[in-house]
Amino acid sequence: MTLPVRWTRFALPGAMLLLVVFAMISLGAGDVRLGPARIWAGLLHRDALAATVLWEIRLPRVILAMLVGAALATAGLVMQAYFRNSLASPDLLGVSSGGAAGAVVAIACGWTAVSLWCLPVAALAGAFAATGAVLVLARRGASTERLLLAGVALNALLAAVTGYVLSRYTDLYERNAQILFWLMGGLEDRMWMHVMIALPIPLAAMALWPLGRQMDLLSLGESEAQSLGIDVRRLRRRMLAFATVLTATATAVAGTVGFVGLVVPHILRLLVGPEHRRLVPLALVGGAVFVLACDLACRAAGGLRLGIVTALVGGPFFLWLLKRHH
Amino acid sequence: MVAETTSLNALEIKSATVPGRIEDVSLRLSRGVVVGLIGSNGSGKSTLLHVAAGLVPATGAVRWGNRPVTAIPAIERGRCAAWVPQEARFEFGFSVRSVAAQGRYAHGDDDRGVDAALAALDLTSLAARPVNQISGGERHRVLLARALATAAPLQLWDEPLAALDARHALDVLRLAHCLAQTGSTVLLSLHDLRVAHCLDAVAVMQAGRLCAFGPPLEVLTPELLHEVFGVRVRTGPGLILELP
Repeated sequence: MTLPVRWTRFALPGAMLLLVVFAMISLGAGDVRLGPARIWAGLLHRDALAATVLWEIRLPRVILAMLVGAALATAGLVMQAYFRNSLASPDLLGVSSGGAAGAVVAIACGWTAVSLWCLPVAALAGAFAATGAVLVLARRGASTERLLLAGVALNALLAAVTGYVLSRYTDLYERNAQILFWLMGGLEDRMWMHVMIALPIPLAAMALWPLGRQMDLLSLGESEAQSLGIDVRRLRRRMLAFATVLTATATAVAGTVGFVGLVVPHILRLLVGPEHRRLVPLALVGGAVFVLACDLACRAAGGLRLGIVTALVGGPFFLWLLKRHH
Repeated sequence: MVAETTSLNALEIKSATVPGRIEDVSLRLSRGVVVGLIGSNGSGKSTLLHVAAGLVPATGAVRWGNRPVTAIPAIERGRCAAWVPQEARFEFGFSVRSVAAQGRYAHGDDDRGVDAALAALDLTSLAARPVNQISGGERHRVLLARALATAAPLQLWDEPLAALDARHALDVLRLAHCLAQTGSTVLLSLHDLRVAHCLDAVAVMQAGRLCAFGPPLEVLTPELLHEVFGVRVRTGPGLILELP
């Protein structure tokens, strides 16, 4: 099923081309339709209406969609190598829910009204707590069953935390609606402030690239990697820290967006094989394409939530994988 | 007890203890020998190999060529010793050749000797196949090829023969002897006592302790085999397998 070797080098340019195409469609589509020429004019402020639509509304949303996709796909790729299990991903393991729970607490307590920066900080705290719990529940190299069960337990626990927060403040309808909407994931009404929060994403993802070769060895066994000359403890710490930061940041700006970290690395592995030096940059671009396309579908369907679209695509895909796995 | 073979040390383990697994094991192996590690299930063979490879912390000391393992940087360890696990399970579909080439990681991925290692384990025709789509015995040979590719002077193999067919098992034994002739040391665990008989030395584990070490003819006496394995030994006509 893998692409012939001579084609694999076209995978990254191909994915980038796809990204540009989807970005152009995304920037052009909407109540005010813009063609490529008007998009160009708008970006350069030569067309007042187009400039307002692009700079105020569409551009932040498109950039965020790309960043969120890149973060979640890369985080999924890293977690799969870390746990040596192609069914691991930040949302199934509960790391996303951890970030979400942290953010919900921040919204409910009104901290985000004070400063939007409270959101990523709370999400980071929640995500790291969840990562710690996963590490205790499912040791590395744990079976798929154990890993998924740990995720189920953690997701249920964190859903309870979120539910408690919601039920506690039933009188604050507006805030609760905000939280519920946020939990379903979405990119409506995002501002440049959100883009600022998400800017470290490509940097963190690219920092993973030099670790690609080591991730190859780790993905085939921890003791094996150590005996082949890798400082496994250090590598594992770095991988997990990056994956958690990426997940938390994406969750902080887009809410809960599931299955990206599962679907994208899987498709890419089918296309170009399992080598991480090739997969890391591809996951970055491929994740961006996937979320951009899903967000476009949300807009086309008239306000469908992003998290619902990715789940509608990813859920059946996951079940198919589970059926096929071993 | 301290077991030893003469001349330069390749591996020295001094009163190593891993609580609940092995206790006070001391072992000294010289360069250029093939040593068999035998013992009943759960007697601590795998743990001892993990300790020897520096993968499991143990009290006591482990030295490779007179250097404490703990003092050797991670990357250099990959050039000094190769360890082959008992289980060969691969989640991802790397090609057979790329897994063997991982043995060159500590050498800066220079790819030297990878094809020779594949040929030595009869894997050349499988080189492009994904490792998660080949048989169990073939996967074990891939792990051995990777260990061979490291060119490490200390080779620690955990039951390398268990999953192999008769011909490939004999090939691997011949490979071990070839490595020993070029000065490497091979320590391998195994269950087939008849194979253990043709190695340079055997170490016998029992309930976490090393209970005997030396040339097979001296160590594998009927009394010891009865005590350790609970079997009676009889020499008689039987099936003998050899390379053509």
